[in-house]
Amino acid sequence: MKRRTLSLTMALTMAASMGLSVMPAAAEEQEVKEFTAFHAVPGTEINDDNVCQDAIAALIGAKCKDTWLTGQTAEEAVGMIIASEEYPDFMTASTGHSMMMDAGAYIAIDEYWDNYPNIKNYLSESEWNKVRAEDGHIYIIPQFGIINGHDTSTVHNDEAFWIQTRVLKWAGYPDIVTLEDYFNVIEEYIEANPTMEDGTPNIGYTILCEDWRYFCLENAPFFLDGYPNDGCVIIDPETLEVIDYNTTETAKEYFAKLNEEFHKGIVDPESFTQTYDQYIAKLSTGRVLGMCDQHWDFQTGEEAIKQQGLDDCTYVPLGLVIEEGIEEHYHSASALDVSNGLGITIGCDDVEGALQFVNDLLSQEVQTLRFWGIEGVDYEVDENGLFYRTEEQRANATSTEYKVANRCDYSYFPQYEGMNLDGINAWSPDYQPTEFYESLSEDVKECLAAYGAETYVEMLNPSEENQPWFPMWSFSNNMTTETPGGMAWTNMAEVKHEYLPKVCMAEDFEAAWEEYLGVYNDRCDIEAFLGEIEEELHRRIAVASGETAE
Amino acid sequence: MAKRAKKTRQKQKITLKQIIKQKELILISIPFVIYGIIFYYVPLAGWVMAFQNYKPKYGLWESPFVGLQKFERLFSDPNFIKVIRNTLCMGIINLVLSFFFSILFAILLNEVRIRSAKKFVQTVSYLPHFLSWIIVTGIVHDVLSLENGIINQVLVALHILEKPINWFAYPKYFWWIVGFSNVWKETGWGSIIYLSAITSISPDLYEAAAMDGAGRLRKIWHITLPGIKPTIFILLLINIGNVLNAGFEVQYLLGNGLVQSVSQTIDIYVLKWGISQGDYSLGTAAGIFKSLVSIILIWLANSAAKAAGEERMF
Repeated sequence: MKRRTLSLTMALTMAASMGLSVMPAAAEEQEVKEFTAFHAVPGTEINDDNVCQDAIAALIGAKCKDTWLTGQTAEEAVGMIIASEEYPDFMTASTGHSMMMDAGAYIAIDEYWDNYPNIKNYLSESEWNKVRAEDGHIYIIPQFGIINGHDTSTVHNDEAFWIQTRVLKWAGYPDIVTLEDYFNVIEEYIEANPTMEDGTPNIGYTILCEDWRYFCLENAPFFLDGYPNDGCVIIDPETLEVIDYNTTETAKEYFAKLNEEFHKGIVDPESFTQTYDQYIAKLSTGRVLGMCDQHWDFQTGEEAIKQQGLDDCTYVPLGLVIEEGIEEHYHSASALDVSNGLGITIGCDDVEGALQFVNDLLSQEVQTLRFWGIEGVDYEVDENGLFYRTEEQRANATSTEYKVANRCDYSYFPQYEGMNLDGINAWSPDYQPTEFYESLSEDVKECLAAYGAETYVEMLNPSEENQPWFPMWSFSNNMTTETPGGMAWTNMAEVKHEYLPKVCMAEDFEAAWEEYLGVYNDRCDIEAFLGEIEEELHRRIAVASGETAE
Repeated sequence: MAKRAKKTRQKQKITLKQIIKQKELILISIPFVIYGIIFYYVPLAGWVMAFQNYKPKYGLWESPFVGLQKFERLFSDPNFIKVIRNTLCMGIINLVLSFFFSILFAILLNEVRIRSAKKFVQTVSYLPHFLSWIIVTGIVHDVLSLENGIINQVLVALHILEKPINWFAYPKYFWWIVGFSNVWKETGWGSIIYLSAITSISPDLYEAAAMDGAGRLRKIWHITLPGIKPTIFILLLINIGNVLNAGFEVQYLLGNGLVQSVSQTIDIYVLKWGISQGDYSLGTAAGIFKSLVSIILIWLANSAAKAAGEERMF
């Protein structure tokens, strides 16, 4: 036995020393390490000979092929990967995160990170503690909401009711506060202007309901009631009561309004059956006056509008409420989402190399390459070190074709938002106030000015400090059908997918609403769901106030 | 002819001498047998998952056994019952439509006298078979579109409809949309095998019938159809076993929230619970159920064919 251990040790030592002697040689040859990553979110794959990607690779000796969701849900894609055991080196599992943890498919990063200061210092000790899994290890690195310096948000990237600037201009930039006001303006506009200049009929309001993106239809009620995007429930900040937003009076009023507008022909009759591609194609034509959506979800459509020069057809966000007097909370400060992040999988052969890659991506030089591009090509620098872009460079930045060939932001790898590490510039052009304002079209500038705003964000109420439990969706995203609450959550989605469109299209709204409530209460154990949310709520409050959860 | 060959085959006993005589043939078949064992039989070991609460972390060896719990869960789920209904109904609709149209198309094509026209039509008609469903469903979405879909435009122009219908919003249309999408894609391809069966019918029979004064329709009814009857039966048998494979991509890509109660098939159910919700055991249980039903269906159909004295598989 002893002898065997000895020989094993010797063999290992030999292998290790060989490894050591081989490594510098490999580095001399400047071979670029290639990693693979899968992010379970929609994204655009870039070209293999992408210019910025190669520039980064030349700098740090590694690159990574990012792949994204295509036509599946995150859970389906992640479930497939787990079942096949063919893991890429890196993964962002999104809503499939709990499945990855369940499968033991991530490598504990904290066992290695002493050699990678950029990773270790990326979050504070207390923030890392929030990321720790139940076993005390850290498996994922959150990518978003890590602010260097101060937040310079100019774009509202989240959910809002959006409206084209041409509608507001035609109506003389009125104050639009309630859902009622919003549809009134759209109705009046469409009555006066049934078609676009080229004769294409305008569509008043369209709703995307495909699969997981049906939040465009279903989650407006809590916004209309003035609550921030907790995603799955309303939490009353004073009483800490957990409220189901699906059956509130506001929800009923909202769906009644959609029903009314559907029958008036303002709501696009194809709303409930269109696919995501059809939706984006529709938006790209510029004929859709308004919709409720997350900005990142329809961004490609808006870029297409800009590319065609339909400057008066881009959108500004409106923070609608159900009745006057309610204060809206559409824009939230960046919140650290600890439920999800980038992990290194057990399929990765070179964990050290992978960590080195992530570490290097966080350096100032690479951050600039990722989000600004190449100096002299994608941006210019003035005598004070301030970055700016020319007209052409701005146009390039909205062209998908240009971006897939030339830009590589590794957007689902860790990154610093707020300020660039040089302390002078913003982390990305869209957040550089001077650069941002210059890049706006005249129509948008005029519209923002009419509402006394300089950025999209200022169209909405300023964000308040996040509550300690925010966002609750980081919990519900990871519920599984193994608990009664998780089962209820799955069933709720199933029922809502079928009945909410029915409610909107019904001839007799009241009857359809009653039917929906009946099925909803019958099929879903709401109490179990709210109970589990409440438990998590109190756990988070306890963690935030310094009490340990254990 | 086929029938006679089978009868003699049944009477023969396999002897050692015969095996030696056919050793080349047996040798040639060995790779396929091995292939079959590796890719069809070995994976069946995974069925054990259905009786476990399978977790990828523990693997097949260490996941706890739960007996028939997953099957109980399956059959107490009203959704699963609906899913079985949808699969069966769409399977049967597909089967009937594809048989009817393939045979009809083969016969019609056979009656075309100009050879080049026949070839051209045949080639054009089977090309859709090579399109993937993602493309076909895109076309179906466009054709049935509310705003400028050709179906709605034609029906409105003919005054059959007063105003365009959003076909995808009503559960009652869904099965038929799937059925006819299948017809559009597979009719040409499916008719190839009937066409070749028709070609092998002896021309003498047609000449004799013509002399007896039979017209085209009579010839089709009395010669062509009986001539391809064995082919029809064999294909029917094979396809009955496939009824539960009513599809996955079509329904997945054409479905939406409004029609989900009629659009989900067993395969989609497996994807949803087995893969998306990570309950691999439940997914496996549903898969086993599907296989069992398929085997029973094949056996029933085969016995029926046997009783009727028709062509059969075993």
